[in-house]
Amino acid sequence: MTRARRPPLGRSLLRLFTVQGSWNYERLQGIGVGVAEEPLLRDLRAGENGAAYRAAVARGAHFFNAHPYLCGLAVGAAARAEHEGATPEQVERLRSALCGPLGSLGDRLVWAGWLPVTSALALIGVALGLGLDAVIGFLVVYNVGHVGLRWWALWAGWTHGVRVAVALHQPLLQRAAAWSGPAMALAVGMALPLSAGYLGGAFTGWAREVLAVATAAGCALLWWGRGRLTGLRYGLALLAVAALVGWLWR
Amino acid sequence: MSLELQLVLLLWGTLVGLDLVSVPQMMIARPIVAGPIAGAMLGDLGAGLQLGVLFELFQYDVLPMGATRYPEYGPATVAAVSAAHGAAGALGLGLGALVGLVTAMLGGLSMYIVRRATARAVHAVTDRLEAGDARLLVRLHVSAIARDALRAAAVTAAGLGFAHLVRLFLAGTLPLRGVTLLGIAAVAAALAAATAGTLRVVGRGASLAWFVAGVLGGTVLVWLR
Repeated sequence: MTRARRPPLGRSLLRLFTVQGSWNYERLQGIGVGVAEEPLLRDLRAGENGAAYRAAVARGAHFFNAHPYLCGLAVGAAARAEHEGATPEQVERLRSALCGPLGSLGDRLVWAGWLPVTSALALIGVALGLGLDAVIGFLVVYNVGHVGLRWWALWAGWTHGVRVAVALHQPLLQRAAAWSGPAMALAVGMALPLSAGYLGGAFTGWAREVLAVATAAGCALLWWGRGRLTGLRYGLALLAVAALVGWLWR
Repeated sequence: MSLELQLVLLLWGTLVGLDLVSVPQMMIARPIVAGPIAGAMLGDLGAGLQLGVLFELFQYDVLPMGATRYPEYGPATVAAVSAAHGAAGALGLGLGALVGLVTAMLGGLSMYIVRRATARAVHAVTDRLEAGDARLLVRLHVSAIARDALRAAAVTAAGLGFAHLVRLFLAGTLPLRGVTLLGIAAVAAALAAATAGTLRVVGRGASLAWFVAGVLGGTVLVWLR
């Protein structure tokens, strides 16, 4: 058992900002997670010609997939487990066990929560005439949460090691996950009519009626055709139709 | 547009493309950031904000989860702003949407190609990775990031090239009704994509009531303005 005196969490955190840089269809985030974990494993280089270190580095780069902002939890926990002399099987099991919960929690908390909430607030700000201030506000507020979450994840992983599941049951985290859905729905719901008003300002008269009909038809088509029809495809198709009608209706 | 400005946009588009997945995911890749900054670079903040809002709405149709393939709207928004630069209102929206949506599709395809190339690079050195070669691990990671930067630059360059062609051959030839219809198509598709995308996430649970409350609140605000 080897205890790191002062773990280089800062270096690991910096590397975590690149965790998806080598995302690929073979190991998904594995390489990036291994790169982020490596500084925390350097204490293992002493003894046995660094065999423990090399084995831990190799394990760290195996297949991994979770939300990128929460990868630090697995990085810290796995590195701590390696220091505490956990068996290779225990470390592999720990990593596998964390993939699902970290992916699901991060997706709910960030991709379907914090990100759309803050970006919707930016849309509302722009629509209300705040201009670039709304955009800068979005970047600052979003990244306070982003960097905070990355740091917390790494710290919690290193602190709890193999008992990292405790960290996932933090009341604050659970409350945030529970509130992210309603908050997102409210913010995006509010942003939609305001954005429509902002972009629709370019049109008057009959054009506004056509806009309303095309939007409603698009909503229905995208809802019922989900899985086959995407917003991008609908957009390209509608632009093609508009260009054709525009040429014919001179 | 001067070559210097094009190069500045190319650099911005590359950073934006790199931010989406690789480094550092601080969300400059979101259209609501990429667009206004590109607009400010061109001295046309209005077009940047307008296209930023438009593509941010398209972005709500995308949840970047796991190994799913999705369009890349960051560099696309930069190219769209370049196409819309100087073209006010509906024309700017229509031309920008055309350039942006095609570039977004190209961006999505390019990510798939790069991820496969990285998988091949990883596969080729599996034995050394299993031996715990830390230097190789870091080199592999850095080269994958460089590959993604090249990809982002290529996508932005293609988008800017397409924007140039659209401005050159399409902008002056469209009749007024055609211009209006193109703008309508762009805004309608963006609003529909955002609404359907959000509803997919919201589902039929309690959040649906919050969504309806938000729409009503937003509508009241529009009416009051």
